[in-house]
Amino acid sequence: MIYFKLKNKKNFKNLDMKRLVFFIAVLFFSTSISYGQCDAAGKAAGCAPNPDSGYTLIKSFEVDGKGGAKEKIEYSYVFTKGTKYLVNVCGGAKTPDGVVVTLYDKYRNKVASNNVDGKVVPAISYPCSATGIYYITYTFVESKDYCGGSTIGFKRAG
Amino acid sequence: MKSSYYTILLSLILVACGSNKKPDLAEIDNTLATEEASFPEISSANIESILSSIPHPLELAVHVQESGIEYNSAYLNSTDNYSNYNTSNKKALNLGIYGADLGYTNIYSQIQDGLDYLTVVSKLSDDLNIGQFLDFESLRRLTDNNSNLDSLLMITSQNFDRINGHFVDQNNASLSTLLLTGGWLEALHITNQVMLTQMDNEDLRERIGEQKIVLDNIVLLLTVYSEHDAQIADLLADMQRLEEAYQSVTISYKYEESTSEIVDGVLEIISNSTSEVSITDDDITKISAIVEEVRNKIIG
Repeated sequence: MIYFKLKNKKNFKNLDMKRLVFFIAVLFFSTSISYGQCDAAGKAAGCAPNPDSGYTLIKSFEVDGKGGAKEKIEYSYVFTKGTKYLVNVCGGAKTPDGVVVTLYDKYRNKVASNNVDGKVVPAISYPCSATGIYYITYTFVESKDYCGGSTIGFKRAG
Repeated sequence: MKSSYYTILLSLILVACGSNKKPDLAEIDNTLATEEASFPEISSANIESILSSIPHPLELAVHVQESGIEYNSAYLNSTDNYSNYNTSNKKALNLGIYGADLGYTNIYSQIQDGLDYLTVVSKLSDDLNIGQFLDFESLRRLTDNNSNLDSLLMITSQNFDRINGHFVDQNNASLSTLLLTGGWLEALHITNQVMLTQMDNEDLRERIGEQKIVLDNIVLLLTVYSEHDAQIADLLADMQRLEEAYQSVTISYKYEESTSEIVDGVLEIISNSTSEVSITDDDITKISAIVEEVRNKIIG
């Protein structure tokens, strides 16, 4: 009887472990599949500033929220005083699709966000008055695809 | 055996689902400082974060152009030097330098020089197996119409961003670091050369001083790769000498909350924060001398 119980416990453990491995494998592959669905590079490539705006593209960032699994994507850049930057955000065909960009200074003070009272606008124009490292953070609010691209263009302020 | 397999599998998944937050640069700096003699453990995400922070050389070149000084090809690395570069490290450093030179020629609309730099950029890219990012033949065909050249050269400059991403993806971020270091050093070299002829130019003075921020990040990146690469260790030592020359340069920063308004769908920020740079003529002379020395070693 005792032997039977132990054997069952062992079987249960084996079964439990198999289920765990199966669950992990499903999780892994489903995550991989959702990774493949976001063409963040393509979205970034199509997010350049309008040539007539006078901004020169200097950086492009991929914003892949992994189907909602990744809540925040962060980059950094040295912004220079006397330079005006344009941060473009692209998500859906004509809207940012809930891709929110927030600029913070090196002390994590909030400088700007394209989420204005719940309305997500597609671009921020930032005339830099203080040189330093800035954090460019992407999050999502009511996003459909959690997938986007973003670019930074620059021109001299003035 | 099985339990090891599960542990590895679980670890892989934990890595794949890793933290969303990239640490602060200050945090990374502290980690490196405590690592001392051992090879610093720094993730590719952190490396990418620091790499992305290095400004594009074009930004400094625009300030140079606005100083009113005329185009001077003598500031640039001669395209004849291309054949001297026979290691991956040298090629990556000089690809960065030639890329910055290409941007400089573009800003001044120097079409023939631009094409010459485009040619060496293409050759070095092929040598480093990143030629796929520069479709040189198409670019050259399009240049038959000279009016397209400005935008073509600009596109080429933009491709450097993709090349950096590629190096990181290929676990070759050391080449990305060298590429960016070369581009930054060349932009600083050109700015210094112009500054030495216009010591009263406050805009360029401030821009040179601000490079202290970028230099700190470059030193951080080179530190990561210096342990196992003698050439990078040598370059790191040079950059640390440059860091010493920057020691007396100070940058103050004062945060004030921004205001904003939406104009034609764009959020226009009115920034109220300020920064001040303190850098003397003596600092500029010292910095310029070291930059020239390091650059000559790289391009020689």
